[in-house]
Amino acid sequence: MRSIWAMTRANLKMSLRNRQALFWNLAFPALFILIFGAVFGRGLKIDINVGLIEPLNGYGEQVAAAMSSTSAFTVTRGSQEAELAALEAGTRSVVLAFPGPGDPPAATIYSGPMTDPNSAVAQSAVREVLLAASGSALPVTISAETVNAAQISFMDTFLPGILAMSLMNSGIIGLSTAFVNYRERGILRRIKVTPFPLTSFIFARVLSQVLMAVLQSVILVGMAWALFDFRPRGNLTVIFLTILIGALAFLAIGFAISGISPNAETAASYANLITFPMLFLSGIFFSMSNAPAWLQPITKVLPLPYLVEALRSVMTYGHGLSAIWIDLVVLLGVFAVAMVIAVRFFRWDSRSA
Amino acid sequence: MAIDAAVGTSATPSPKPPMIEAHGLVKRYGTHVAVDHLDLVVHDGEIFGILGPNGAGKTTTLEMLEGLRPPDEGTIRVAGFDPARSPNEVKRVVGVQLQSTSLFDYLTISELVALFAALYNADGSPERVTRLIDQVGLGEKRDARIDQLSGGQRQRVAIALALVNDPKVVFLDEPTTGLDPAARRTLWSTVQGIRDAGTTVVLTTHYMEEADVLCDRVAVMDRGKIVACDTPARLVDALAADATVRARVTGDLPMDDLRALPGALRVECISPGDRCEEITITTDDAQGTLVGLLALADRARVPLAGLTTRQATLEDVFLSMTGRAWEDEPTEAAPEQPTGRRGRRRGGKVG
Ligand SMILES: Nc1ncnc2c1ncn2[C@@H]1O[C@H](COP(=O)(O)OP(=O)(O)O)[C@@H](O)[C@H]1O
Ligand SMILES: [Mg+2]
Repeated sequence: MRSIWAMTRANLKMSLRNRQALFWNLAFPALFILIFGAVFGRGLKIDINVGLIEPLNGYGEQVAAAMSSTSAFTVTRGSQEAELAALEAGTRSVVLAFPGPGDPPAATIYSGPMTDPNSAVAQSAVREVLLAASGSALPVTISAETVNAAQISFMDTFLPGILAMSLMNSGIIGLSTAFVNYRERGILRRIKVTPFPLTSFIFARVLSQVLMAVLQSVILVGMAWALFDFRPRGNLTVIFLTILIGALAFLAIGFAISGISPNAETAASYANLITFPMLFLSGIFFSMSNAPAWLQPITKVLPLPYLVEALRSVMTYGHGLSAIWIDLVVLLGVFAVAMVIAVRFFRWDSRSA
Repeated sequence: MAIDAAVGTSATPSPKPPMIEAHGLVKRYGTHVAVDHLDLVVHDGEIFGILGPNGAGKTTTLEMLEGLRPPDEGTIRVAGFDPARSPNEVKRVVGVQLQSTSLFDYLTISELVALFAALYNADGSPERVTRLIDQVGLGEKRDARIDQLSGGQRQRVAIALALVNDPKVVFLDEPTTGLDPAARRTLWSTVQGIRDAGTTVVLTTHYMEEADVLCDRVAVMDRGKIVACDTPARLVDALAADATVRARVTGDLPMDDLRALPGALRVECISPGDRCEEITITTDDAQGTLVGLLALADRARVPLAGLTTRQATLEDVFLSMTGRAWEDEPTEAAPEQPTGRRGRRRGGKVG
């Protein structure tokens, strides 16, 4: 036990002192949060196409005026059928209807799928205007179609994706490069001549990797919290469980890659080959719902989309375990399969014995 | 367990059972036989050197003794245990420094030593860690990270790690390869300190001088076989010749007279023309040969130039046992310097 803990602590120390790994695991996702957060999270620097369903009541006209006064919105008026058709076609980000006389102020928001970050940005922007246009005459009744009652900001949907990305990078890239490196430099052989068992060695690595994942998550969430008012909605235990299972799935893939690869170069190319497509096919940066149909099945066999889904479901929408258990089971399956491959192909030595 | 221990002759037959016994060790890589029916016995408390050129099979032998590689044939006992059957017992009583192993770069020396103490379930208290680091002469560097150390310092860290479990025997695989002469000498005294503290040391080297100066007994290894095994002094003494006398001559010295010199075993002449210009006399009586040669030259009024004598070394042992000249490593860190006892005493000028 003492030896496992000592090995775990040493692993953690090494991870924290390895600048290159720290960059990929922490600084890189943090940069994404900063850049995307600055561009989309707060200011309304993007063009949001808003459709207003005629006729407009008094409140509706106030909203229209407010939107026209900022360059972020392009306002179009039209009939309900025309506007909703435009929304479906993707030429509107959000469509608003103003039922009733306008006092008390009320609005209905029609929007595309919530997993689309653009849609989320558009909605939160529109909400701000709706609130502002109502003056102090609260409460504003905002009813939403396809949207939960909660206010979803850009960061709310973006952060879980980035978190999943950082878990994937530290698991697959971080672990496989570290391990192949240890093997090539004879460090594993040196461990092998100690009485420390292989199982303990792997367990210590898993433990330190998971602890790093938690630390990473806390830092990234904390940053989004402090800078972009990100507030995770779901149950903390469920969030933690999801992070844990995600971290396990990806570190097992990293292990498997290090076992299969004959050398560091191969390991790096396998790791990139796996992580790179996942990065773009997981709906982290743009929704896959608009992707061509032939791409859709691919997203179903990659592990990252499941983690992104699960994290968004709990963190963004506050869903419980019942909403994500399938994702978690898939990730656990990935963990099991990858771990079997990893143990089967584990080698202490880059040469034969 | 009756094992024939009469392999190699010991200087002082140890009353204790041998620390290591190996019989008929064979290791093949495909069709290549890396270790070929090798026998060896290492006594308790000695520094045992395996000397051989690159590819001789030193590392393979050591790794079989350590339990890292299973032998294809043969039996091994290390401190009474069989590495194949009781790997964990062997791991507990041996300390290992592997050839060209690097260490975790991002840890400091103390952290690394404490980590390995934990892996062995050995005492990893700060006092003991400090003591181990001091023992290999790295006291001032204890909080330096591994990636900030020189090659010699890393080797010494590796040796500290090999001592972390208070082993009965430590295996050092080419501990001084790539080190400059000063670092090599520092390491020698560290190794002698380990032996003096009662730990048996088995090391490999391809430096003649190192085997000669540092080791109590040396096994000369070539192509998977041990071709000779004894104390360095006895290995050299066992050679028919114990010295070589060389001189350049500018006149005629009759070959027969040269061959008749006292002690002369073999005379070679390098003669570009028909005159003998440089003579090399292998002798078992350097003094007699020299005196005779000087008298002969005097009588014949032939001036001698560049007269040198060279004591026989392990190099000559290798030559006589394998029929091949010892080739020094091209990776030699620095030119050899003449030193102590029987170390390559070159240029013993007389004339
Ligand atoms: N894992 C291996 N696979 C194939 N051949 C090997 C392996 N290890 C060593 N050899 C070969 O076995 C011979 C002995 O190697 P080694 O024991 O490393 O010699 P030394 O340590 O004396 O330089 C060499 O010819 C080497 O190429
Ligand atoms: Mg070797």
